[in-house]
Amino acid sequence: MSLRNPATFQSLILSLQHYWVRQGCVLLQPLDMPVGAGTFHPATFLRAIGPEPWSAAYVQPCRRPTDGRYGENPNRLQHYYQFQVMIKPSPDNFQDLYLDSLKALGMDPLVNDIRFVEDNWESPTLGAWGLGWEVWLNGMEVSQFTYFQQAGGLECRPVCGEITYGLERIAMHLQNVDSVFDLVWSDGPLGRVNYGDVFHQNEVEQSHYNFEAADIQSLFGWFDTCERLCQRLLENNLPLPAYEQVLQASHTFNLLDARRALSVTERQRFILRVRTLARGVAEAYLKSREALGFPLLPTRKPKKKRVHG
Amino acid sequence: MADTKPFLVEIGSEELPPKNLKHLAESLHRNLLAQLASNSLYPANPSEGQTFFSPRRLAIYLPKILVKQEDRAEERLGPAVSAAFDAAGRPTKAAEGFAKSCGVTVSQLTPRHTEKGERLAYTLRLKGKTAAELLPQIVSESLAKLPIQKRMRWGTGQAEFVRPVHWMVLMLGDRAIKADILGVKTGNQTYGHRFHHPAAITLKHPADYAKLLEKTGKVLVEDRHGRLVKKISAYVNHAAKQVHGRAQLDQGLLEEVAALVEWPVPITGSFDKKFLALPDEVIVAVLETQQRYFPLRDTKGKLLSYFIAISNIQSRKPTVVRSGNERVITPRLTDAEFFWESDRKTTLASRIPELDRVVFQKQLGSYADKARRTAKLAAVIAERIGSDPHLAERAAQLAKCDLVTGMVGEFPELQGIMGGYYARHDGEPDEISAAIAEHYRPSFAGDALPETKTGQALAIADKLDTIVGTFAMGQKPTGDKDPFGLRRAALGLMRILVERQLDSDLTVLIQKSLAQQPAKPPSHEPLVMEIYEFLLERLRVYYLENGVRADVFEAVRAKQPHNPLDFHRRVQAVNIFLTIPEALCLASANKRIANILRQAGGKTGRTVDAEMLREPAERTLYENIRRLQRDIQPLVAAGDYINTLKKLAALRTPVDEFFDKVLVMEPDSALRENRLALLSLLSALFLQTADLAMLQTD
Repeated sequence: MSLRNPATFQSLILSLQHYWVRQGCVLLQPLDMPVGAGTFHPATFLRAIGPEPWSAAYVQPCRRPTDGRYGENPNRLQHYYQFQVMIKPSPDNFQDLYLDSLKALGMDPLVNDIRFVEDNWESPTLGAWGLGWEVWLNGMEVSQFTYFQQAGGLECRPVCGEITYGLERIAMHLQNVDSVFDLVWSDGPLGRVNYGDVFHQNEVEQSHYNFEAADIQSLFGWFDTCERLCQRLLENNLPLPAYEQVLQASHTFNLLDARRALSVTERQRFILRVRTLARGVAEAYLKSREALGFPLLPTRKPKKKRVHG
Repeated sequence: MADTKPFLVEIGSEELPPKNLKHLAESLHRNLLAQLASNSLYPANPSEGQTFFSPRRLAIYLPKILVKQEDRAEERLGPAVSAAFDAAGRPTKAAEGFAKSCGVTVSQLTPRHTEKGERLAYTLRLKGKTAAELLPQIVSESLAKLPIQKRMRWGTGQAEFVRPVHWMVLMLGDRAIKADILGVKTGNQTYGHRFHHPAAITLKHPADYAKLLEKTGKVLVEDRHGRLVKKISAYVNHAAKQVHGRAQLDQGLLEEVAALVEWPVPITGSFDKKFLALPDEVIVAVLETQQRYFPLRDTKGKLLSYFIAISNIQSRKPTVVRSGNERVITPRLTDAEFFWESDRKTTLASRIPELDRVVFQKQLGSYADKARRTAKLAAVIAERIGSDPHLAERAAQLAKCDLVTGMVGEFPELQGIMGGYYARHDGEPDEISAAIAEHYRPSFAGDALPETKTGQALAIADKLDTIVGTFAMGQKPTGDKDPFGLRRAALGLMRILVERQLDSDLTVLIQKSLAQQPAKPPSHEPLVMEIYEFLLERLRVYYLENGVRADVFEAVRAKQPHNPLDFHRRVQAVNIFLTIPEALCLASANKRIANILRQAGGKTGRTVDAEMLREPAERTLYENIRRLQRDIQPLVAAGDYINTLKKLAALRTPVDEFFDKVLVMEPDSALRENRLALLSLLSALFLQTADLAMLQTD
C-alpha cells in the first residue's frame, strides 16, 4: 500500500500519522469522550498550559450537533474527524512543516492554490483564543492553523502552535469526489467500504436526536450535574477528572443549543458557566504540574536552579 | 545641500489579515515619517515615498532621507554665579558638579545673563548621529506604534506583532543596515512568492524593490493607488467576457481579494443551474461573503451560474484549481437551499413568540419588546405620512422575525431581505413584504431609501426606537465611540424624512418613542431636545456633504423647526434666495437690524405708531411691511418659503432708502422707540423663514 497519494480515508490518516511521527510528535489516540474539536483533548488544551514543552498528533472524532444535516448535505456532518497536531513551543518553520505534510499527501503547491486566510480562533467555553488562519485548498477550508495566546484564561508562555486538519475535506480533494459519503474508507481484500456505508445512517439518526429527540429537561439536569461534580472534583484537587466534567458539560450545552433550548442571554450564561469551570481546571492543572516540578521541562543545570525561599 | 539617500524597510511576515492590511501599511508609512522628522532625518524637500503591501509583507520606500543629523549646539545652564564660588573665589560643589555633568572643568564655564540672574553656562557641541545608527530605533518605534488590534507572540520569543515575523529588509542607499528587530536580523534579502519563488532575493538598491519582486519573485505588491486592485478588476472583467457575463465588482471585496494574493490568477467556475432558483441575494452572499468569489450577471442583470475566483498561483493544472473551487460552492449552496426550504415551513408570524428569547439590548428588552414598541410608533408615523397604520403595525410585528431563521443565522447580512421573501411566501400583502425587505435601508452611505410608504414608516420607527432607547439608557455616542451605530441610523432617518418629503413633527415622535422605553431617564423634556439636536446634527453633516453652506443651515436651525421636511424647505428657500440679486443687501440689512436691536436692548415691546412716522422713507417701508405681512401669511402657512423670500426681496429698495434717509437712534426717545419697533416688525418678517442675519455676506 502506498502512503503517498493516499487512495482511501484510512490511508490518509496513516500518512499523516507517519509524517508527524517523523517530525517527532507523540502519536496519541482519540479522547474517548464526545468533544466538539480536537482542541478539547487534554493533549492540546491542558498541555497548552504552563511552561512545559509538548508535541502530539492524533485523530479526534468531533461532534457538532448543530452542523447535522440528516445526511443530506455533501459535506456537513454532525460527526466527523479531525487530525490534530500540537507543538509547543511553536517552531519557526511551523507553516513549512504543515505545507510539507500536504506535499507528503501528494499535493503539489504549484498545482493547487493553497492559502492561509485570516481566521482567528476563539473558544468562549474554554476561555482560550489564538491568532491564525484557515487554510484554503482551491477555495476549500481544509485546516485550521492557530498560535495559542491564552488557554483557560492563562497566558500561553511559550506559545503553542496547533494544526487541525479537516480529514473528510482533504480526502474529498484527494479522491476527487463531491460528496463526503462517496469517500472510499477502505479498499482491501475484504472489499470496498465507503464513508457513507460507515456513517450515513449515523448522520440521519443523530441529526434527528440532536434537533428533535434530545430530551431538554434531562440535558439541563445533566449540565447541572456536570457543573456540580466538576466543582467538587476541583475542591478535591483532581483537575483531570474535573476536566472530563467540563467536556461533558460543554457537549451537553451544544445539544441544548441544537435543540434551540437557550435564549441569547441564557446561552451567554451557559457559556460563562462552562468557562468558569474550564478556568478552574486550568489553574488547578497548572498548580498540579508545578507541584510535580514541571517534569517535562528539560533538566536544568544545578547552578541555574532557583531556590525557593 | 545635506546628503540624502533612499531608504527601504520591509517586514516579511506570515500571512497578514487582509482587511487591515492597507491601513497597517499606511500607518507604518506615517509613523516612519513622524519618527524621521522627530529625529531630524527628514529632508527639507522631501518626497512622500511609497507604501507597498501584500499578504506576507509591509514595505515603505522613501526616495530620500538625510544620512546624518546636523551637528548642533545645546546650551546648558548651571547654578547662579553667586552660588558657584565661595568667599575665597573657589568653585563650590554645585559649580563642580555642573562642570562634571558637561564633561569639562569649571574654568571652561562662562557666565550668562538670564531672567533669573547670572548663571554659569556651557555650550555643548553635539555631533549629529547618522541615519544608520538611528534607523533601527526609528523602525522599532514605528512598528510599536502601529494600530494593531491584537498582537501575538510566537514560539518562546517575547516579540509581538500581527503574525510571526520571518525577515526584515532595512536599507539606506545600497547598504543593508544590521539590526535586531522583532526577533529577526535585518538585511538586504527579501523573499518572493511562497511557492513560485521561495528562495531569497538580494536587493541592490531600495528603488528596485517592487520591480524586482514582480520580475524575479512573482509577487505583485499593492500600493496606495490600488494598482493591484485595478489589475484584478481588469482580470475579472476579462474573464467575465469569456462567458458572456458581466462581473459584479464590489469594491470592498476587490480590496480584500487583492490583500489575499501575491500573484493573482483568475479562475472561472460554474455551479448547478438549479441553485439559481434561490433568491439572488442568497447566491451573492454565498459567493461573496463565504467564498470571496465575484458573481456574474447577463446583460439583463440576471445572475449566471458562473463565478470568478482569484487564485494565488499560476497553476500547472488550472483545471484542478477550478474543480476544487467548484466543489466548495455546491455544499454551500446546498446549505443555503436547506435553509430556504426549511425556513419557509414556518411562517414569520408564528415566529413572533421566539423573538422574546432574543435580546435586543439588555436594558431595552428583547426583539419582541422592540417590535411591540416599533409597531405602535410605525402606526403613528404611517398616519402622519398618509399611509395605512394597520399595515405599518403588522410589518413592524413581523420585521424582526427573520432574525430567528436559519438563513439569517448563517448570513446575518441578509436580515430584512429574507424577511421580505418569507413574508411574501406567507401571503402577507405586498406592501408588508416590501416594507420588511427595505426597513434597514439606508444601511450605508449612498444606499437606496425605502420605496413604500409602509417601509418608510417602519424604517423611521425602527431607527428612532433604537436611537431614543439608547439615549434613554444613557449610552449616547461620544467622540468616536458609537457602538450602536446611532449616527448612521440618525442620518438614515433624516434622509428618509427629507428626501421622501414626509411631513412629521420629530419632537412629537421622539416623545412618543421615549414614553414607551423601558429605560427611564431622569427627565423627559431635556432628553427630547437633546435627541432632536443629535438628529439635527446629522442633518447638518448631510447638508454639508451635499454642498449646502454651513451658514445657511445655521440660519434655518436658529428657527428650530421641529419638522425636518419644513427645515428642508426653509434651507431650499434660503439657497434659492441667495441666487437673487437682492439677497446680499437684504442679508446685510438683517444683520444691521439685528445689531441695532441688540444694542438697543432687545425687542421693544411696542407696536409701531403710524402717526409718528414722519419721514417718507419710513412711511414707505411701513406700508410695504404691512402689505407683505398680508401677502406672505398664506405662503408661510403653506410652507412655501421660496415665494415668501422672493416676495420679501421687494423690500430691498425701501430698506435701503430707510437706512439712507432715516436716523434710527434719534435723540427723541419716542421717535426712536417707534423706529425700533418698525425694525422689529421688519426683522420678524424675514425670521418667519430663517435668521438671514446669520448668513455670510462677504
